[in-house]
Amino acid sequence: MSQNRLASHTGAVIDFTFNGKSYQGIAGDTLASALLANGVDVVGRSFKYSRPRGIFGHGAEEPNAIIQLGSGASTVPNLKATQVELYQGLEASSVNGWPSVNFDVMAIVGAFGRLMPPGFYYKTFMYPKKLWMTYEHFIRKAAGLGTAPVEADPDTYDKLNQHCDVLVVGAGPAGLVAAREAARTGARVIIADEQSEFGGSLLASQQTMDGVMAPRWVASLVAELVAYKNVQLLPRSTVFGYYDHNFLTILERRTDHLGLSSAQGTRQRLHRVRAVQVVLATGAFERPLVFAHNDIPGVMLASSVSTYINRYGVAPGKKLLLFTTNDSAYQTALDWQQTGRQIIAVVDTRSNPSGDIVAAVKLRGIEVIGGHGLIEAQGNKRVKRALIAPINASGTQVTGPVRRLNCDLIACSGGWSPAVHLSSHTGAKPVWDESIVGFRPGESKQQERSAGACRGTFDLTGCLAEGASAGAVAASLCGHGDGSVQFPACAVEDYIEQPQQALFLVPHTSATSRAPSQFVDFQLDVSAGGIELAVREGFESVEHVKRYTALGFGTDQGKLGNINGMAILANALDQTIAETGTTIFRPSYTPTTFGAIAGRDVKALFDPERYTAMHRWHVEHGAEFENVGQWKRPWYFPQQGETMNDAVNRECLAVRNSVGMLDASTLGKIDIQGPDAAEFITRIYTNSYLKLAPGKCRYGVMLKEDGMIFDDGVCACLGDNHYLMFTTTGGAAGVLAWLEIWQQTEWPELQVYFTSVTDHWATATVTGPNARRVIAKVCQDIDLSNEAFSFMDWRDGTVAGVKARVFRISFTGELSYEVNVPAHYGRHIWQALIEAGEEFSMTPYGTETMHVLRAEKGFIIVGQDTDGSMTPADMNMDWVVGNKKTFSFIGKRSLQRSDTLRENRKQFVGLKTVDGQAVLPEGAQVVFDAKQKIPMSMQGHVTSSYYSAYLGHSIALAVVKGGLGRMGQVVHCPLADGRIIAAEIVSSVFYDPKGERHHVE
Amino acid sequence: MSNNSQQELPLNYFHRVSSHRGQAPNAEIFNGEVEYALVVKESPACAFLSLRGDPNDAGFCAAVIDILELNLSTRGNYHCSSQSRIYWLGPDEWLLVSEIDASVLEARLREAMSGHISIVDVSGGQTMVNLRGAPMAIDSVLKKSCIYDFAGWSNAGSGKGRCAQTTFAKASALVSNRTDGSFDLIIRRSFADYIALWMLDAGREFGLRIEG
Repeated sequence: MSQNRLASHTGAVIDFTFNGKSYQGIAGDTLASALLANGVDVVGRSFKYSRPRGIFGHGAEEPNAIIQLGSGASTVPNLKATQVELYQGLEASSVNGWPSVNFDVMAIVGAFGRLMPPGFYYKTFMYPKKLWMTYEHFIRKAAGLGTAPVEADPDTYDKLNQHCDVLVVGAGPAGLVAAREAARTGARVIIADEQSEFGGSLLASQQTMDGVMAPRWVASLVAELVAYKNVQLLPRSTVFGYYDHNFLTILERRTDHLGLSSAQGTRQRLHRVRAVQVVLATGAFERPLVFAHNDIPGVMLASSVSTYINRYGVAPGKKLLLFTTNDSAYQTALDWQQTGRQIIAVVDTRSNPSGDIVAAVKLRGIEVIGGHGLIEAQGNKRVKRALIAPINASGTQVTGPVRRLNCDLIACSGGWSPAVHLSSHTGAKPVWDESIVGFRPGESKQQERSAGACRGTFDLTGCLAEGASAGAVAASLCGHGDGSVQFPACAVEDYIEQPQQALFLVPHTSATSRAPSQFVDFQLDVSAGGIELAVREGFESVEHVKRYTALGFGTDQGKLGNINGMAILANALDQTIAETGTTIFRPSYTPTTFGAIAGRDVKALFDPERYTAMHRWHVEHGAEFENVGQWKRPWYFPQQGETMNDAVNRECLAVRNSVGMLDASTLGKIDIQGPDAAEFITRIYTNSYLKLAPGKCRYGVMLKEDGMIFDDGVCACLGDNHYLMFTTTGGAAGVLAWLEIWQQTEWPELQVYFTSVTDHWATATVTGPNARRVIAKVCQDIDLSNEAFSFMDWRDGTVAGVKARVFRISFTGELSYEVNVPAHYGRHIWQALIEAGEEFSMTPYGTETMHVLRAEKGFIIVGQDTDGSMTPADMNMDWVVGNKKTFSFIGKRSLQRSDTLRENRKQFVGLKTVDGQAVLPEGAQVVFDAKQKIPMSMQGHVTSSYYSAYLGHSIALAVVKGGLGRMGQVVHCPLADGRIIAAEIVSSVFYDPKGERHHVE
Repeated sequence: MSNNSQQELPLNYFHRVSSHRGQAPNAEIFNGEVEYALVVKESPACAFLSLRGDPNDAGFCAAVIDILELNLSTRGNYHCSSQSRIYWLGPDEWLLVSEIDASVLEARLREAMSGHISIVDVSGGQTMVNLRGAPMAIDSVLKKSCIYDFAGWSNAGSGKGRCAQTTFAKASALVSNRTDGSFDLIIRRSFADYIALWMLDAGREFGLRIEG
């Protein structure tokens, strides 16, 4: 059944399906190791040519085994089978290869591969647009990478903000000892590793460390780390981004390994880490060798073959041929021989391989063929044989006859590429180092250091020494320990390695352009020939070639192919790799779920909803709500069977004819105290507050420096040097910040303090001709007569048994009392007033009615009738500007600019539609000549428009060029639906122009 | 005059709400039969006063000591007595929380102080909740909610502790520690519902209930 599983490896059986077929794996398997155990060769199809592809690697570098997990709402596209832990009932399918991986219509296209040369997409863009639509449909259907779920994501994701002294990235040998050194100093340490188990390369290592096998050494070190209270261990956690100020992001997969639907709790957690110091111990990726048809299933990385044998008990083939440029891959020959399966030979490009391990391999009777290249793999859905030939010392030419060797597995190694990705995220430019044939991390741009293989140190002894030192130094830079290594060095036996050969493209008997495809980037089918073609077509910059050929564009982000690709490019350009440089790695290191980035900031928690103290009453009484900033304000209170219009008309009439009540708690309120409070306020508002007496209120507008209105409201004098400023609901935070900025940066000599009291007060506005009668029922200690408590006064008193502050200010034009109480009493006072108002049929009303009522009075709403380009004069509010004030006020100078003084500015007027029942849409454009051809001269626009039930006709407010000089003229509003509504320019005050209604007895 | 029955605390409608509503009978949850790792308890109404003034003004400091029997707290700290607390909010800004009636306390302070000061009653706009439970669970909820590093704080001692105003999810809170390892949060009334929903969600993996 599991033909490739080694008898020595046992464990609990796990059932799973792949592409609809049932298989069995063993606990501890990844999907990749289980598929290999079952002899599944083809796991996907390549992106462009649809060539069959098999598992190539064993980790984040895997380019081929890209799968779709599960189905329905929780399906996950584009996972690497090498990183998916097997669980009972797992269902997976290949993302690429419609209609099936084994028979693929695109393979026919693949046979005509040269129809899709590099730059295919760019070139098709250049053709007539019409054709692209055809291509696109075809390409997306056939070559797409997985499918996103259509349903809402059922999983839960969250985020944790973490702080630590030392963050260690990677729990291989270097990372583990770095964490231990840092931990013992008492520093706060986080160590994260993307695999399910800590240990990195040691998990599949056959080396002994301190006298025990490497995996056992790892286990005891991990146990040591767990015992430290100051260490947080994060397995299954990928550090995917490194940002400024040592801020790093980690994606922890918490339940993915348990299955998609059965899991409870947080599926993935995003750790947002602020680290004082960082140790990068991210290891290295083995580099594949680029030879003809190196993409046939059965070609793998040497280290991956070893990992499958040693860690998962899987020998992914029967007859191995090893192909290498270096000593490290010889370990795979030794590992393979232990499985008892056949090894054909080791093909080494170096003419006389002679390292310790080479000798060890030869000693075991394995043939080593030096000075040869494996120039071509042959086979269809599985490797059948390899062609090898002698090559010259520089590796540029085949120099002798070609031999055929039968095999079903080719393990290749072109050396190791340090995983410099995270260091590169910081802006450090990787530096080419000929001695390791790879890019080392560039000069640090953050508080970080690399240790071990990611720094180009590939021997275990070196990794351990560097890791220990990096951990100790990082801790000492946080003030913990003296930076010296405290634990004794671990005793390991390393083979002394001989220099590797730098070989990025294995020569073929044919020229690269004629040879069978030699793949560089498997996922996107970028071949050596393709890169050379790009150069012939004039591309020179590595960044351009990357985009033109799509090299490194796949979900593996070029972890395998980049170095070979750049080297081939350098060669084609006849320059060094250092001169060619590398592309910049950016976050994310591996694909990251959007769900994790959103965290819990979704649905009801997406944005705070702010409620007033009376909110529950509104809900209980059927209010519809309107969003005003983050506030939920009652919009209107529909009764049974009422439309919004019905409700608003009823509410409006109630206020005009008797009395209504509004929850005005959301208005911004700022308490202002200090000896210079009056002077300060007078500089902020356009009018003066120097003579405002305690007990009195005044309306004011404030301008930005450009002279444009940005907020308005009433300001009350509470006592000596003590004021209360009301702002608009939406403007509250902005106004407070504005006051602080001017006080702190421009006028620090003015002694004044500001405190937000918006949340402290709950406000019930009782308004209408019967308002006084309602208040009188619940308030006995304020003389409510017009003489004692007149318009624009405020008084302290007791309302319904609660200490209250009552303002006689009005936004409706009616007699109004705004009752303010500390918000804990908000609901009490609201209900008491409702009861008191019953005999007058007092009607609760919402913001829509408030808008209609104020529009009838021509009161502006900043931000609706103004838009940041309106001066007080534009709004016909010159009366609010105190030009005689001794000190200037903010914006005054701008009111004298030629532009603010010019004729024909848009001015605030009323519009009365000729057909009184026609309600203009807000935003409608105003023209003078309805017959003018398009484009018409737009002369203004409607800012507010309502039907006034009280007046019996529609009313609108608008800003019209020179409008104040056009009273009585008829203008036209052409609408999107073709209608043209005519309206007369009238005063913006439709109701009670003399303001007599405030003073009813 | 004013009495408690007329008051409604900001979290009134969340008292006796738990993160596992619907999964366990309500009675069980509040009889302690279901183990809850986290409890959020809203304190009874009390006075919150914003105090601004010059800490270098001896008279200002003396007035605070005189009336609150507490020294002005310094950067990042609060001081407390059995009746009152004083939280440092900024170089010239403190928050007073007291069982003394707000208007009485304000009047006393005003009488004892002179010069450029500000005292503002903000009692209606705040509420204080205490978050207690398993240290690991508290730690996790705070890490989910705040960017601030509370682990860097020294332990609260007798009569004093640490405090910080910080973002709390997408709202804000004044967070302080207590000697028993629990944390107090002073939050704004209008954001209370949002914060309650957030905490029920953040504490769900441990179990969390809100009490009055």
